[in-house]
Formats: sequence, structure tokens, C-alpha cells
Amino acid sequence: MDLSVKSAMAKGVFTATVTSNRRIRACYWTMDLEFAGAGAKAFAKFQPGQFVQVDVSGLGLPAEDRIPADLRDVSKRSILLRRPFSFAEVTAGREQTCAELLYCMLGPASMRLTTLGRGAALSFIGPLGRGFWVPPGKRLALLVVGGMGAPPIRCLAKLLRAEYPGVNVIAFVGAKTAASLPFEGQFDEMPEQIDSYIPAFAKFGIPSAVTTDDGSAGRRGFITERLAEWLDEQSAGSQDGTIIYACGPEPMLAATARLAADRNIDCQISMERRMACGIGVCQSCAVECRVEGSDETVYQLCCRDGPVFEARTVVFRTRAAIVEEIGLVKAIQEGQASPTGDEARILEALEHGEEDKS
Amino acid sequence: MRREYSKHWSMAKKTKVDIAVDFAGRRLANPVFTASGTCGYADELADFMDVNRLGGFITKSITLKPRRGNPTPRIVETDAGMLNAIGLANVGLDRFIEEKLPVIAKMSMPVFVNVAGELIGEYTAVVARLAREKALAGFELNISCPNVAKGGISFGRDPEQVREITSAVRAAAGDKILIVKLSPCVTDISVIARAAVEAGADALSLINTFTAMVIDTETRMPVLANRTGGLSGPAIKPIAVYLVNKVYNEVAKPAGIPLLGLGGIRTASDAIEFLLAGASAVAVGTASFLEPDCAARIIDGIRDYCLRHNVAKLSHLVGALTAPSSLANG
Repeated sequence: MDLSVKSAMAKGVFTATVTSNRRIRACYWTMDLEFAGAGAKAFAKFQPGQFVQVDVSGLGLPAEDRIPADLRDVSKRSILLRRPFSFAEVTAGREQTCAELLYCMLGPASMRLTTLGRGAALSFIGPLGRGFWVPPGKRLALLVVGGMGAPPIRCLAKLLRAEYPGVNVIAFVGAKTAASLPFEGQFDEMPEQIDSYIPAFAKFGIPSAVTTDDGSAGRRGFITERLAEWLDEQSAGSQDGTIIYACGPEPMLAATARLAADRNIDCQISMERRMACGIGVCQSCAVECRVEGSDETVYQLCCRDGPVFEARTVVFRTRAAIVEEIGLVKAIQEGQASPTGDEARILEALEHGEEDKS
Repeated sequence: MRREYSKHWSMAKKTKVDIAVDFAGRRLANPVFTASGTCGYADELADFMDVNRLGGFITKSITLKPRRGNPTPRIVETDAGMLNAIGLANVGLDRFIEEKLPVIAKMSMPVFVNVAGELIGEYTAVVARLAREKALAGFELNISCPNVAKGGISFGRDPEQVREITSAVRAAAGDKILIVKLSPCVTDISVIARAAVEAGADALSLINTFTAMVIDTETRMPVLANRTGGLSGPAIKPIAVYLVNKVYNEVAKPAGIPLLGLGGIRTASDAIEFLLAGASAVAVGTASFLEPDCAARIIDGIRDYCLRHNVAKLSHLVGALTAPSSLANG
């Protein structure tokens, strides 16, 4: 792994001021933040894909009638640890650095964030980890988003447009339903072809392809299937100039890594793990990685060596292994579970639960 | 905001208060350590605080051979605490000497290496090799890790095994300070403490984490890949204070052995509780995950406490617990 691109910038604990905080759709919220002083300097160098650790332990809960029924139980949980988030957009000004925190209200930590109004202060540790990088010679960047994987990919889109004008960019965006696309806009009448449907990418002149699991926006199916199909439609030839960047649920990242490897395309993925510290001391966020030129694997740390990894280095547990591990096979055999419903629930738990629900 | 508050109190720093403590014959500038496994090898903290301000530093556990650690998930948050099951992931003795020791050698506070293993011979091999290093003040013997299949806590539950491993390591440790770290998951912690002291421990640290479990009710599976993990954080603090006080009264005070108290400390008053209970020094663990400079703030807070309470010398607080009058009157 090339660590020479690893940033040596100063990280620290910084307080940001909330300038706005509003719901955009369904469970998705967006918060605008302003860093001043040393924080402005540190975050001016924020790389897309890097992350922050947010302290929500001192925040109160929303009023009871604003807590969705399915989150009432988890709302009783108290918060001890910081929570990792990646910024969706960062803009460095002369005095301040502004950052957009896009989040999903799905547990006791994120529901506390919804209570913050203009002028509130929030503590961040950051910028942390290794973000996306652009290897030399790239002419085409394919951005793959699965649901709440949107923030770091949006941040990368801005960087690519600002600093790599010679690189063509297309976004491939997948979600469960039209309502669960974590973007602002109207998506229920979206046709299947690639066009400027998603404003967050269109504002950088980046067209997007959209899929939803139920077909309620764009094409029905998984975004990785759409990406594979698109790649296979292109004229055959060297893929050296192409790179895939992906962030989303782990099964989607595994599929993306597989299709990139099959076609010999460079691919970087942003991983997610439960973590306590974010600065490489608690050792909880292990990601199993291959050692180049050997059959061995090692645990690297998502917070320090990632969260962005070269896809070919990461060892994914297969879907079958995940399902087996969670005891579903047994449950199905005993007639206590139906495969489709439970699989969906487990995958959802893997996608969201790791971040917040526990 | 917390920062402004501490700035207000930092006037205390200008007035002279002696918060130095003696710990097993070694003078510490202040009684605050960072706990093993929560601050790596100290260089990771350099972005957040001047690590040389610490009273002492305890490394992540070192084993003879490198260890991968457990599969993920390795942690889960609970109310006022967290479970971890890292599985003693570490670089192993050779890489520790090559990569980490030169960094440690530059630090001015006393550094203790936390040593773990599956066999007594592994502990003694690590300690014998590191006992030559001038940069190290001593060792913390980890016989209380709840997250490994062999070794760890299995040593720390049986007084005979504690005696055996402590005396073997004592013999290998030369003139270095030997701290033995105790598990709370025993019937009578004083029995274990006494075994360690009789076998040559210079100090005891307590407590390590409690073995615990969290179940995901959706999947009906334990959340941690290791099934169980060690509970740490504010949730365990009152139990830790009680156990420190018990070991202080029953073992440490009669034997003249210092205690390093830990378990859920995140404020200066938490630290003072441990001192009053009988600890000569304290360690900050889980709280450093939230605030990497937590230990530095606790050092400032202890100084402020001494000023407010006219404590000229911090050692006067050690074991200075006052019994409630109902008890004092019998």
C-alpha cells in the first residue's frame, strides 16, 4: 500500500459553530458548520474521505413527539463515545472553513444532533484518517454511492471538478427507494438513463445513474449491476485511465471491489467500522487486508490506515458467511425465519447498526 | 466551553502546590497515568497534549510474538461504558523494541510496559529482554485480560498462579518496578492482591475490566465477535473505588505497597475519589477516547482541588477517607 500519500497534517480537537441544521427528506438531515481559527486552518486541508469524531454526549434528546416510534427504545440509551462522520462538503474561506455534515437520524446519537440550532457549538476531533487520492494518469472517475455513503463521495466530486478538470466523472447512485436517496431534490419520476438528476452532482457538471431496490427511482436493481453493465458497454481496451471510488454498505463495497478486480480497474473504497477513539489507540476498527505478494492477511485500522483503502487489499466476508455467522441458516432450517425478510433486515442492520444503533 | 472553564481555574497553576507523589520509590511529577491499551505507545497522543506532562505512561500490552487480535466487532457502547474485546493486538516484542522504544526513550515521564502472554515463559522472556532498557521505569503485569482464550485472566483468578507468575517475572525484572494489574472478576480481590505482594510485586494496579456481554435482540447474537468483552468507563467507577479501598485497607496499607487506581475516571474529582480510597496514583482509560487530552485536564483539576482544600502535599490525600460519623461512633 502506498502510504506516501498519507497526510501529515495536524489534527486536533476543534469546536465548530452550527450555522444551519435542517431535515432534507425522510431521515436525512444536513448541518452546516463553521470552523474558525486553528480549526479553520486544520479543516481547510480536509481531504474527501477523511472523517471527524463528533462529541454528542452532552446533547439532549428531541422532544418525545419528534422521536419516531421505532427509535423510542434506543432513544433511552446514553452516549459515551464520539461518533465518526465524514463531511459532504468543505469550503475554505479567508477566516472560516465551512463544512456540511449530512447525517441520517437512526439512533440515539444522530437524533441528538437534530436538536442543534444556529449558533450551537459542537466538538470535533479531526481531520482523521486517509482520504481518497487521485493516482496520476486518470481520465475517468466513476463515483459509486450506496445510500448513506454519499457524503465522502460528494466531497470527492467537488475536489475532482476543482482540481482535476481533465478527469471525466460519472456518479452511480443506489438506494433502497426514491425516498431513501440522501440528496435534496425530487426523484420519483426519474428515468433510467444517465443524466443530471442529482443536483448535488449536477452542480459540478457530473451526470448520474440511479438505481433503487424497488424501482421507485431510476432503474430497479443494485447500483453495482448498473455499473458493471455500463462498463461492459464501453469499448474494450485499457482501463488504466479509469478509477472507481465507492462508499456505501459493505456488501455493495464487496461487489464493487469484485467487479473492479474482474476488469482490472483501480478502485478505492471507504470502509466503516465501530470505533472508539478514531486516532489509532483503541484498536477496535480492524479491517482485514491482504499482504501484497503473500497469502497472509493483517488487520489494519480503519481510522488510521483508512477509512479509504485500495479495494484489492481488503478481505470481505462473503454474504453467505455473514448470513451464516448471524445464525440465519439455523433460523431458516428451524422454520423461524423467512430468508428474504430476515436477510434484508440483517443487511440493513449491518449497514446502519454499526454506526449508531448500538 | 470546557476549555474556558479550565482557563478560569488555571490561575491555580501559578500558586505552589506539590502534586508530586512517590510511587514504589520513583518520584512522579503528578499522580496521573494513562491506562494500558487506551493511549497506544504515546506518540499517537502527541497531536492532542504534551505527553511529558503525564505522571507516568503505561504502554499497550506487549507479547513475545505479534498478535493480530480478535475479529470485529471488537467494541460496543453501553450505557455509561463500553465493552472491548481487542484480543491483545500488538506488534510483538521485536518490533516494539525497534519501532516504539526509541519514541518512548525521548519521553521524560516514567514509562511502564504492560506485558501479557499465554505462558509464564512468555512473560519472563519479554521482561528479561526489556529489563535492560534504561528508558523504562518498569512493568505492568497483565494477568487480568478477559479477552483472550489462553493466559490473561486465567492467571489472575488463582492465587497460586498469581504467586508463581509474579515471582518468576520479579526475578526477570531486575531493578525495575513491577506492577501487577488485578481483575475485579474474582471472589475476593484481596486474596489475589496478597499473593502478588507476597511474591514480590512493588505495586498493584486495579481494576481491569469486567467480563460482560451485549446481545443484539434483532439477530439474537452477541454483538462482539468474541461474544464477551471487558466493560470499562464511568459505569464501573464506584465498584473500582470500593475495590481500591478494600485492597488498600486489607493488603496495600499494611504491606506499604502503593496502588494505581483506575476504572471509569474522567474528571479530577473522580481521580481524587481514588486517592482518598487509597490509591497513590490513578490512570485514565476510556475517557481518553472521548477527550485525548483528558489526562492533562485531570492534572490541572487535581492542582485546583488541592488549592481549594488547602492540601499542601498531594500524598496527604492518599487513603485519607473519612468515615461517616455513624460508622465512626460504632
